[in-house]
Amino acid sequence: MLAVTGSGGPRIAALNEAAEAAGLILGEPLADARAKAGEVQTRAIDSAADDAALRRLALWATRYTPTASPWCEENGADGFFLDIEGAAHLFGGEERLLADLSLRLEKNFGLPARLAIADTPGMAWALAHFARAYASFLPRPAEEGDHAQHGGGGKYESSEQAMPPPPRFARSPSPASLRYVGADKHVILPPGQEAQALAPLPVEALRLSPDTCRTLRRLGFKTIGALLDKPRAPFAARFPAELLRRIDQALGRIEEPLIPIVAPPVYHTLRYLLEPLLTQEAIVALASRLMQTLAQVLTRDDVGARGLRLSLYNVDGAVETIDIALTLPSRNVAHLMRLIDLKLEKLAAAEDAGFGFEAVGLAVTRAERIAARQDELIADDDAERTESCAQLVDKLRQRLGPHGVRGFAPVASHLPERAEMLQPVAAETAAAWPEREQKSRPLLLLPRAEPTEVMALIPDGPPRRFRWRGVTYEVTGAQGPERIAAEWWRQSNGHHSPGPTRDYYLVEDSGGHRFWLYREGLYERETTAARWFVHGLFA
Amino acid sequence: MTQPTAQIVMRNRAAVAEELRRLLPKMEGVRAARPIPFGLAAIDRHLPQGGLACGALHEIVPEAGATPAAFGFLVALLVRLSGTNPLFLVLPAYGLRDYGRPYGHGLRALGLDPSRLILVETAHRKDTLWAMEEALRSRAPAAVAGIIDQLDLKTSQRLHLAAADCGLPLFLLRPAPSLPSPACGGGWEGGSATATRWRVGPAPAARDRFGLITRARWRLSLERCRNGRTGEWMVEYDHVAHRFSLAAALADPAVSRRAGEEPFRRAG
Repeated sequence: MLAVTGSGGPRIAALNEAAEAAGLILGEPLADARAKAGEVQTRAIDSAADDAALRRLALWATRYTPTASPWCEENGADGFFLDIEGAAHLFGGEERLLADLSLRLEKNFGLPARLAIADTPGMAWALAHFARAYASFLPRPAEEGDHAQHGGGGKYESSEQAMPPPPRFARSPSPASLRYVGADKHVILPPGQEAQALAPLPVEALRLSPDTCRTLRRLGFKTIGALLDKPRAPFAARFPAELLRRIDQALGRIEEPLIPIVAPPVYHTLRYLLEPLLTQEAIVALASRLMQTLAQVLTRDDVGARGLRLSLYNVDGAVETIDIALTLPSRNVAHLMRLIDLKLEKLAAAEDAGFGFEAVGLAVTRAERIAARQDELIADDDAERTESCAQLVDKLRQRLGPHGVRGFAPVASHLPERAEMLQPVAAETAAAWPEREQKSRPLLLLPRAEPTEVMALIPDGPPRRFRWRGVTYEVTGAQGPERIAAEWWRQSNGHHSPGPTRDYYLVEDSGGHRFWLYREGLYERETTAARWFVHGLFA
Repeated sequence: MTQPTAQIVMRNRAAVAEELRRLLPKMEGVRAARPIPFGLAAIDRHLPQGGLACGALHEIVPEAGATPAAFGFLVALLVRLSGTNPLFLVLPAYGLRDYGRPYGHGLRALGLDPSRLILVETAHRKDTLWAMEEALRSRAPAAVAGIIDQLDLKTSQRLHLAAADCGLPLFLLRPAPSLPSPACGGGWEGGSATATRWRVGPAPAARDRFGLITRARWRLSLERCRNGRTGEWMVEYDHVAHRFSLAAALADPAVSRRAGEEPFRRAG
């Protein structure tokens, strides 16, 4: 089965094992493949769907470690790295982790993955892709015993869409040579042996661009070992920087940063379940147990959670994540659980638990120091109020959305409609309002100034009578004008002129209603027929 | 003996009524120790305990077209709540829409620190009621204010109970053009568990001798007052001293000035 894409005629973008066995090569024109192998089944490649599937898979893999990083284009976009440093022992060692991952990929997704564990992502990538093909050149294990870090990659395709292989890397102590796991499909490279393991692999294992690879091959460099022996300076001069960078990355001489699919949490806990969870109560009950575990760690470190993420791993491989932001750092289990409960309630309608959730993870994505104090004996009334207020805001926000709860914040602008904004309430936004001004400002501001017909005695005088929303008001008193010029320094983008100057009047009608009117444009300088607007209402 | 008995009964009746008036609020579970006084004896006399009860529901109803005035009155009441605790204003989507939205600088002009006010915007009625009740039950705010158009007896009882339980005042502004006014059929009576209902109308503002507006004025009518008496006043609100005062009708230079005379200063 082949997935095919077009560029200068259709070419092979992915192929399965049978096709590989038939001698077909990635990137080969489809016509050549047909000539070689006779009958081939082809499908057009759907890279968007592949990317989405890879993303889902990487998200799914966060059950093993918080740092999962799907491969981007330069890595082939058909796998992901997992940083399993410090995580492998949770699964009983690297070998077991590898076995578990492989089993679940096969069982849940039908993906025959190729996995490798090594100290660096580059090494893991190389092994995941080439360890099997070059098995005979690689050192066999001398004896049982140790492992190190790895990356893994799998490659594969399922019935509809091509799906990707993952590498991961992690570390563990100890010397030895390559260990093969699971019918030679997966490999684990002990630390410190990158150079030996890399040497017999082809230059393609370095994740270089096809051009660079071609040049290298033309010059006779077929294996990476051949490159490693040579002095660096000529390579630096003649090849793109990527060559030396990739070598250094594979050997661990320079760091290769991984971009995690979700921001790694500060604290994290996860629980697997024997029976899938289906009900909201059960999820909340389990989450609260997880939170209790986290709360102990939080208390130990004197911090509270400002952000929480609840991950629900569905049996069918989908992952549901729920993010919760808090106004004040907290480690109050009851409060945090109420928030989760509210959020789940809101999602319940839209969300289908399907076969249930087989694992639930709870992570603190943002932690902040909280002042140490006794939780039980609260003497400080103010602090208590502040906290209960923050809890109230959090609660309201879960149900009403992040923009449901806002406070006023001043903005330095002369234009009344720009002079303030609504901001989500947060502990750190202590808005500094300017000194009380003597200028009159309306209690209610219309979202958009509404045009009005005004009769004035002289063109630049105060209004005597105006008509607004179908009612005529007789003005008994007008105060003003207060002249507010447009912000000429804002004219840069789009609009050619900053808009006319406004003259604001506070007017009162005979019934005691008070309005804020303005006349747009300076008479005889900016306009001859001034337009009037109602902009606000006074109490 | 009959006549003295009658006199005693009469005297007793007055005393009993007085005693009952004193006890009733306690029996209704209004816990708030200190009511919120207007600082205006004329009004405080009408209210039980000499001020607006803290743990209770208070309704504010604008006259036609007087929503800004009613909102101003609401803000003035909020300003009178001392302290730095936040005030929650629950604003449903329909809210004050016709009349724009609360403006921070304008709140400030009335004496309310805008950073103290937390705006809760809700999409439906259910959320509105929920948010008000949650805010009350948390006991975090100094007061909760809300805008709601329809309010039935049961809902108002529920809100009133929530307010009473927590000892916090709940102010409801009801910009309800569709509701019948008391004049045409009394659809209000018995329709609400509110402790007080204020009807607010606009009035020409107080002016200084140059004709500049100094203080907002409102026509207040206390239409319902549980355990108190109803009444009508013309009040003005001093946003600097945060005080209400009775408007002296003829002290207004703008009003007493002859018609046709230019009553305002022109600047600029």
